[in-house]
Amino acid sequence: MDSFFIGTGVALCLLMLLTLHRAIHGPTAIDRIMGVNVIGTKTTILLVIIGTIYHRVDMFIDIALAYALLNFIVTIAASRYFQQHKNLNPKGYGYRFPAEDD
Amino acid sequence: MDIVVIVLTVIALLFFFATTVGLLRFPDFYSRMHAAGKGDTLSSLVILLALVLYNFHEINLANLLVAMKILLIAVFIFMASPTATHAIIDAGYESGIKPWAKNPEEESP
Amino acid sequence: MIWQLDLSILTLIVICAFATIMVKDLLSAAIIFGAYSFLMCLLWTEMGAVDVAFTEASVGAGVSTVLFFAAVHQTTRRVRTRKSGRMLAKVFALMAALLTGLVLIIAETDFPGFASPFTPASLHLSPYYITQSLHDTNVPNIVTSVLADYRGFDTMFETAVIFTAGLAVIAILRRYKRDDRCDLPEPYVISEGYPDTIIRFIARQLAPFIQLFALYVVAHGHHSPGGGFQGGVILGASFILLAISYDSRMIIGIMSERLNILLGNIGVLIYAGIGFLCLLLGANFLDYSVLSKVLPATDKIMARSHGMLGIEIGVAIAVMAIVISIYLNIISHGKYDKG
Repeated sequence: MDSFFIGTGVALCLLMLLTLHRAIHGPTAIDRIMGVNVIGTKTTILLVIIGTIYHRVDMFIDIALAYALLNFIVTIAASRYFQQHKNLNPKGYGYRFPAEDD
Repeated sequence: MDIVVIVLTVIALLFFFATTVGLLRFPDFYSRMHAAGKGDTLSSLVILLALVLYNFHEINLANLLVAMKILLIAVFIFMASPTATHAIIDAGYESGIKPWAKNPEEESP
Repeated sequence: MIWQLDLSILTLIVICAFATIMVKDLLSAAIIFGAYSFLMCLLWTEMGAVDVAFTEASVGAGVSTVLFFAAVHQTTRRVRTRKSGRMLAKVFALMAALLTGLVLIIAETDFPGFASPFTPASLHLSPYYITQSLHDTNVPNIVTSVLADYRGFDTMFETAVIFTAGLAVIAILRRYKRDDRCDLPEPYVISEGYPDTIIRFIARQLAPFIQLFALYVVAHGHHSPGGGFQGGVILGASFILLAISYDSRMIIGIMSERLNILLGNIGVLIYAGIGFLCLLLGANFLDYSVLSKVLPATDKIMARSHGMLGIEIGVAIAVMAIVISIYLNIISHGKYDKG
């Protein structure tokens, strides 16, 4: 049973790799926020699986709960940013640096 | 009991795989968010259920406590993950991302 | 140590680290840095260091990422790119980095093997802690007992450092009405908070439970991973959640600037105060066993356990107040009026 869970863990890591591709190459910043949200949820599950492999789930549950919480808070904070800065590309916003061309 | 755990975990991995494929291949931001939000939440709930069942090798108080804590994580993910999806989609809508149409010349009425 | 998981997580971390540097947009770099923190916490957990993982999760992946967002929100998202010149400086920097790396690798061959049981730390110090900690202090979590009892001085100065960081942010960013000579132009309209019912409702419902969980983490630090720092950061994060979903004005109404600084002070004071109390009762600074004279019906061993709980509470209060204070300072341009 242990090796089955290790296999599950490695499969989840592979799926995280594919999601990371979306997080890095996403054409807009919001795609990246979505990618990090998915990575965070997968990490929560992976924490509980690691606890099961070590046969001491009670130690790892608290971390998993705190993780899910902070994943949620980071996503809400990132979306709040877009409430006020309404363009997706970083050009054309903000205090102009003098004599700077893009 | 082990068979049930293995079956549930494999189902959850299949859903995770479908979520990731959807995340990579859908043409539009909104459809990608659909895949990510719904598939992710469902897979998390199923795999947490599988881990709860795996813990019940013997019924005693410590295991019951651990099972309740894992169910608490499941309840929290059930409440928080769709809200986070809603927040991201709202941010995308406010920033003016247009939905994908098959022919760009057609306007939806 | 499960080597399969170790390898895959390390690969992901390296990819994240490269991506953080190469992405040209500061907000996206902050987001990918958040993902890097998530994966780093996973690596610590897989190595078995659960307390470190907890701290990395709460501080690195939670509050630190939110503070990065707040900083990018107030400045700009563009990265300064120089097109020309300074090739010599870049080559020199590369040579310096390579040289340092080479020296470190050569020095590393002198170390004993990775996790071998024959290092001086493992031969003389760790067996003492592992065998004697439960006997001396009645606390099963060895990390907490080392952090709060055997090495209590370090933790006290860490708390003082956190307090100093909060003071530094106030010293740099805080602006009062009377010396507002150069007011920065505000090119965007600050709306009145997040006008979204769903998020407000969920945040309002979840915040008490998050705070309850944070208090559980502080109090249960003796038996499970947790402790003062992690609980304090999660408490601060609950307030940040409320500040994000409503407006900062609501949080300023609840935890005004004066109350924040007062709470930060009280946290450090509790820690040092318990130390001084031990001094007054006739033993060394931060030697909790003499607290058995003050606390009723405890012997020397239980007094150490209670002393550790007292300082964990002090640390949690200080960390919570400072996290809220730093966030409010950054998000409101230092003016504490809106955000």
